[in-house]
Order: sequence, then C-alpha cells, then structure tokens
Amino acid sequence: MPLAIFMGLAAALTLGCRPADTGYFGTTTPRHGPNELWINNGGEPEWLDPNKCADGNGGEIIWNTFAGLVQAHPATLEPMPEIATHWDVSPDRRTYTFHLRPSTWSDGTPLTAHDFVFSFRRLLDPKTASKYATNGHIFKGGAAVSRGEAPPESLGVRAVDDLTLAVELEDPLPYFLSFLTFYSFMPIPRHLLAELDRRGIDESLWTRPEHVVSNGPYRMTEWTFRQRMVFERNPKYWDAAHVKLDRIRVAMVESYTTALTMYAAGEFDWPGSNTSLPAEFMDYLATFKDFRRHPYLASYFYWINTQAPPLDNPRLRRALALAIDRQALVRHVCRGGQIPSADLVPDGVAGYRGLGRPLFDPARARQLLAEAGYASGADVPPITLVYNTSEGHKQVAEAIQQMWKDVLGVTVELENQEWKVFLATAEMHNFQLCRMGWTGDYADPFTFLELLTSACGNNHSTWSDPRYDGLLREANRDPDPAARLAKFREAEAVALEAQPVIPLYTYTRTQLVKPYVRGIWGNHQDRHPWKYIWIDASTPSDTAADPPPPAPGETAS
Amino acid sequence: MTRFVLRRLLELVPTALVIVVASFALVRLAPGSPFSSEREIPPEIRRQLEARYGFDRPLPEQFARYLGNLLRGDLGLSTKYPQRSVNEIIADGFPVTLTLAGVALVWSLVVGITAGIIGAVRQNTVWDHGAMAAALVGISIPSFVLGPVLVLVVSLRWHLLPPAGWGDWRHVILPGLTLGTIYAASIARLTRGGMLEVVRSDYIRTARAKGLSERLVIWRHMLRGGLLPVVSYLGPAIASMLTGSVVVEKIFNIPGIGPYFVDAAFNRDYFLVMGIVVLYAFFLLVMNLLVDVAYGLLDPRIEYS
Repeated sequence: MPLAIFMGLAAALTLGCRPADTGYFGTTTPRHGPNELWINNGGEPEWLDPNKCADGNGGEIIWNTFAGLVQAHPATLEPMPEIATHWDVSPDRRTYTFHLRPSTWSDGTPLTAHDFVFSFRRLLDPKTASKYATNGHIFKGGAAVSRGEAPPESLGVRAVDDLTLAVELEDPLPYFLSFLTFYSFMPIPRHLLAELDRRGIDESLWTRPEHVVSNGPYRMTEWTFRQRMVFERNPKYWDAAHVKLDRIRVAMVESYTTALTMYAAGEFDWPGSNTSLPAEFMDYLATFKDFRRHPYLASYFYWINTQAPPLDNPRLRRALALAIDRQALVRHVCRGGQIPSADLVPDGVAGYRGLGRPLFDPARARQLLAEAGYASGADVPPITLVYNTSEGHKQVAEAIQQMWKDVLGVTVELENQEWKVFLATAEMHNFQLCRMGWTGDYADPFTFLELLTSACGNNHSTWSDPRYDGLLREANRDPDPAARLAKFREAEAVALEAQPVIPLYTYTRTQLVKPYVRGIWGNHQDRHPWKYIWIDASTPSDTAADPPPPAPGETAS
Repeated sequence: MTRFVLRRLLELVPTALVIVVASFALVRLAPGSPFSSEREIPPEIRRQLEARYGFDRPLPEQFARYLGNLLRGDLGLSTKYPQRSVNEIIADGFPVTLTLAGVALVWSLVVGITAGIIGAVRQNTVWDHGAMAAALVGISIPSFVLGPVLVLVVSLRWHLLPPAGWGDWRHVILPGLTLGTIYAASIARLTRGGMLEVVRSDYIRTARAKGLSERLVIWRHMLRGGLLPVVSYLGPAIASMLTGSVVVEKIFNIPGIGPYFVDAAFNRDYFLVMGIVVLYAFFLLVMNLLVDVAYGLLDPRIEYS
C-alpha cells in the first residue's frame, strides 16, 4: 500500500539522524506539568463501555478508569484483590463468593454487588450486542443467555447482599480469577444508565465525559474526538492514596512513526501499551537505553484449510510445517526478537510446558513429502497462501515461500488481500493457506487451544476431531491443575500431528520508556496500569528494574 | 450570468444523484462487513448489530432510507465510532481540514504568485531562474518527504514547533507548509507562464501606448491575464488540498477528515464513507462552478450562454 511506503519513507527521514548522544532516544527530562504523564493510545476507541468494548484502544482506558472484583498485578499479572477484598471458593471450584469492600462510584453513589450482577447480565444480553459476549460464557447459563434462549436473570450470578456476590461457573476454570481482570467484567453504573433513560438520553452515550461515572483510579475529564483524552486522579477510588500521578493526557496517534517522533520530541513520556515500534527500525532503536522488549502472549501462524486439496493430505501439511526455518525467519525477517515456535500455545503460559516440536527439519520434511505421494515438490498441485496486506506479513510470506521452494521444491503462490476482504475469505474457508495471529485474552493455554475446537468460529482450518474436543472438555472439568495441563498437552499433540495450523513464532512487544517514567514492568499481556506509574526525574531507570509493588492486603481464603 | 448559475445549479442535482447511487453501490459491493473481525461474533449478536444500523433490510429499502435521511441532512451512524453520528464526525473534522487547507492555500498563493511575478517581470535573469528552480524543487518534493524533513529540523533539532498534533496555531504551521508547497510551486509556474503569454498581446501594448506606468500595466493588466490559468487551477487544487490532505494529516496526526477517506473504506464504515464522498462531491461540484464564474469576472472575453 502506497501510504505504508510513504510513512516508512517519512520515518526513515525523521530518524536518519541520531538525536543528541545521551544514549536515549530523544529528550530525557519531563516536558509537561509535574506529576503529569503524556502517552499515546494508538487510536480512537470504539467503545469505552466495558461490556461492549472489543478493542485494545478502549480496553486500555477502561482498565484505568474502572475497577473490577480483582486486578492483575502490574508485573506478574497474578490476580489480586481490588473491589473484592477476599473470596471463598467451593470445593468443586465452580462457585465463588466475593466479599466486596465498601466503595463508591466517582459521583459518590455506593458501589454494590448489584452493579456487578447488572454488568455481567448486560454483557450477555443479546440486546447489548457485545462483540465480547462470549467472554461471559464462563458463567453458568451464559451461553444460553447470549443466544437469547434464556433470560439474563437466569445467569448464575447473584448479589447475596450489597457487599457479597456469588458467581457460579460452567466449568471449574483455573484461570477464572485472571480472566476476571479483563475489562468486559468491570461493574456498570446502573444508576447512571437509569438516569439517562429517565432524561431521554441515548444510553450508549454514558461514557462521554459529560455523563461518565466510573470507579477506577482515574476519571475522564476531557475527550476531544481523535485528539486527546484527559484523565485526573479519582479521589473516590478506594485505593486513591496509592495512585501516584495527578493527570494523564492521552493522544490518539495511529501512525507508529508519528508516535515515535512525538516520543523523540518529548511530547510523549511513554508511547503507551497500544503503540508498537516500527519493525524496520527495531535494530536501530534497540541500541538505545530506553528500549525495552518482552515476550507477548500471542502466536503467529498459518491456517491450513484441511479440506482443500492438496492440503487435505496431512503428510503434506506436516512436510510444509517442518520445511520452515523458524530461527532464520525470526532473526533475518521479523527482527523483533520474536520467539520461534512450532507450537500453538506459547511456552510457559500459566505453567504450561510447550510441546517443543522441531523448529526446522528439512530431511524429515522431504521424507514426509515422499510419503504423501509426491516424488518431487514440482508434482504438488498449485497452492496459494493468502495474507492481509501489510509489509511485515509480505516479508514473512516471501521468506517462507522461498524456504518451501528450497527445501521441498514446492511452489506456493502469494496473494495479499485488504483486511476486510481477507476476513471474509478466512471466514468462508475460501483459501488453502492463510496467515493469522492470535492474542491470548487470559494467561491460560485454553485461550489458544480453543481455536482448534470444532465449535469455535475462529477455527478457519475446517479441521475437527472429537478426540481433541473431548480432551479439552475433560481438561476444563478437571479440578487438578496439573492433570488439566497434561490433558492440554495431549490435546495439542493430537492437533499438531494433524497439522491444521502451522505455528511460526510467539510475539514480543517492544517499547520505549523515558528514563524518568517509573513503574512500568514488562509482562506477557503488555498491561501497565497507570496507577502504579510515577515520575522521578532524579534517578534514571535504565533497566526497568523498579521493585514491583506488593499485592494489596488480603488474598484468597 | 444569473441564468447560467441557475442552470448549473440545477444540473448539480442529477450529477449528485448519480454520485450517491454509484458510491452506495460500490461501497456495498465490496466484500467484507463493518462488523467482521479476526474474532468470531456470534450470529445473534451480529443480527443485533446489523439491525441497529438497518443492514438487515433489503438493499433497495436501505438505499431509499439513506436517500430520505440524506435529504433531511442526516448522514447516519458510524459503525467504527458507534457513539458518533457521521454528521458529528464531519462537523468535528471538516473545520480542521478546512483550516489546514486554508493555511496551505494562503501559503501557496502568496509564495506562488510572488515567485511567478518575479519570474515573469525579470524574465531570463538570475531572479527568474532562481524562482523557477525553487518551483521545480517544490513540485518534485512530495509531502511525505517534505513533512518529515520539516519535523526533523524544526521540531527535533530546533525545538521550535511541535512535531504533530492539533490544538493551537503552532500545530498548523508545519502541516500547512507541507501541504501548500507543492501547490505554491505549480502556481509560480502558472503565474509566470500566464503573464508571459499576455505580455505581448494587443491589450497590453494598448495599455503601455496610452501611457500607463509599468507598475499599473503589471498589476492591472498583466497579472489579471496571468492569473487566469491560476484560477482554473485553483478549483481542482483546493479540492485536491482537501481530499489530498490524507498523507499530511496522517504524518502530523491531524484530526481532519482526510484519513477517513481511506480508513472508513477499509473499515467498511458504510455511512461514514458515503458521508465523506457526498461531502467531497458537493465540494468539487461547487468549486467547479465557482471557477467558471470567476473566469468570467477575470476575462471579459468569456460570455455565459
């Protein structure tokens, strides 16, 4: 796309000269008010309504303006108490009873368990039309409510009293508490929605600054469409005493290169969780002291349409998977420090030990090609790989195309499609091979393994195996975490033996953080709550080695 | 003259209708849906979303409804920014784009016409060659090169102006220069060419013969003739400043409507695409009409019939 080339050129020119040689990229002292942080949000959010939001731009704002039952630790992402001070878990791990602390909304109205019940029901109510309604399927009866087959009141969530919330789960999910930190599960100020309704104002406008009421560390005071949002410390937040910054100003800059320029000029103190660094400058930017990189809970892979000949032959699929030199791909093409992987689930997610399938085995790949019935790669009927238009995806596809040619002699055509066209292609299984990436919603192997189940709408491979589905079902009902992970491993092995998907690598996230910005820890979901961030111009932090904050107070009983 | 304008205005109606029908059809024929994403949306949720925007109705009915709303000035709801109407988005963004284009226009006219006059009056001198060489450079440097160079020097080196963003006058200067320079260069060459064309015409000789001062000859007669090609260029130029601001608005992260032209199409934000197309089409039609009218005011030889 010409615009991408323009922007690349623009960036090349902007970055052509090294800024003053401090070892940092650009300015190194705060340029804004004291205790004020300027960041980027990567673009205008679609929704700031926790139940309706389905994009990172909105999620980042919701996470910092709302407080849920539990919060993720800023370094480890372990769930910690937030509005719930502690909780009881039934022996079968299917019922959780949360005990809430007395707290209020930003307008002073008391926050109760009813606000959570209202939110969880609303998330699933088809009338809400939430793109993330499926997140609520973890609750007992959630799927039926979201399909409109049962009333929202039938959901397994109820307020025992104002400060006690009982939640019943469909399965004894070990990741339930970490999933509960997700923005879909924040409380909703039902009193505000009722009031807007009374005044005849469209309910969907409740998150605008003139109306919004929230309960998190910050509250919105300004929202100038596509320019900026301003947030101020919410004095009514239960833990306001530990919120360090007074004001956070968020810009909506979509272009990574523009955001980088603004960072260099000191307009941004930190480009924020939603801005990546342009891949073409990664090697260069990595030489600066303010550069940081950490693994990210996301996999990059190619779907195989297992019903489209010649890829209906599992041996040919495995041959293709083994003929890719993932080390070389990551080192020479992606260059972002990505972790090469032939497994779908990133290694180490919630204690999960990756299968460690071979990253590259050309001899075995050739053998499999012969077993598949092809004397040479030239005999393989034409195959086309589809990817969505992007310079990065193109480079990866071209490198793999060459590897397949070199190792197997198989010729694969490449085709790029504009994003929405590409999505329609994938959805209608109108492809042989197609590129995709998947970001985990919560730290558990299931967020990746679910992709290959027969019922999953995101399974574009058309592959389905009752044994695989059964293993996952069993695993999720297993109260023993170790046994559960073992079943997951077995299931992943079953799936990858059939190779409906060719995993390539696990993502990393890279960012720049000014030396005076403290309290940003690398974690695999790239979540960096603003409440823990502070500004200290006196002692530069070169290594992000700030001691992580302790978990507040009480824990699970 | 009045009849001419009236007739042209009436002609606008069928033209506009063709544009609306064609763009509605094109937008809807594109594969993909505003609600598709890499995550599956359950069918019952998708039905709700489609119903909210009326996408569940048959296409002819949707078109009839769109046309009816359009006549009442209602451009519909955005799917990408569900809390905003297209009217609201355009009302927010269009003044920004207009401001940017206005600064670019003033810059291009002042610089372009000055350079053009210098070139014409001092034809074949160092001044002329200098001005025209500068114009050549200006035409040749695209905005995606000029913009970052300006940012690099003015913002990152000298720390004089912010590198991007929108808010006060300091944010307008760099993008305005970036957007306007290429037009300034064209205007310089057109002004010079236009003036040199009339310099040997009868009415200039007459003006000189009746003893007018050289200054009056240049300002009242030569420039007026010389500006004709500039005027005919200005219509499309202003339109292209407005529609072509997409690159500059991206580089400087300006919240105008330029980027929607591309992004809304990518997002299949049906009503927003339509809104922008209708707005631009209206603008182009009106600009062309204004150019034709201005032509007559500048050149007495042109008659309206």
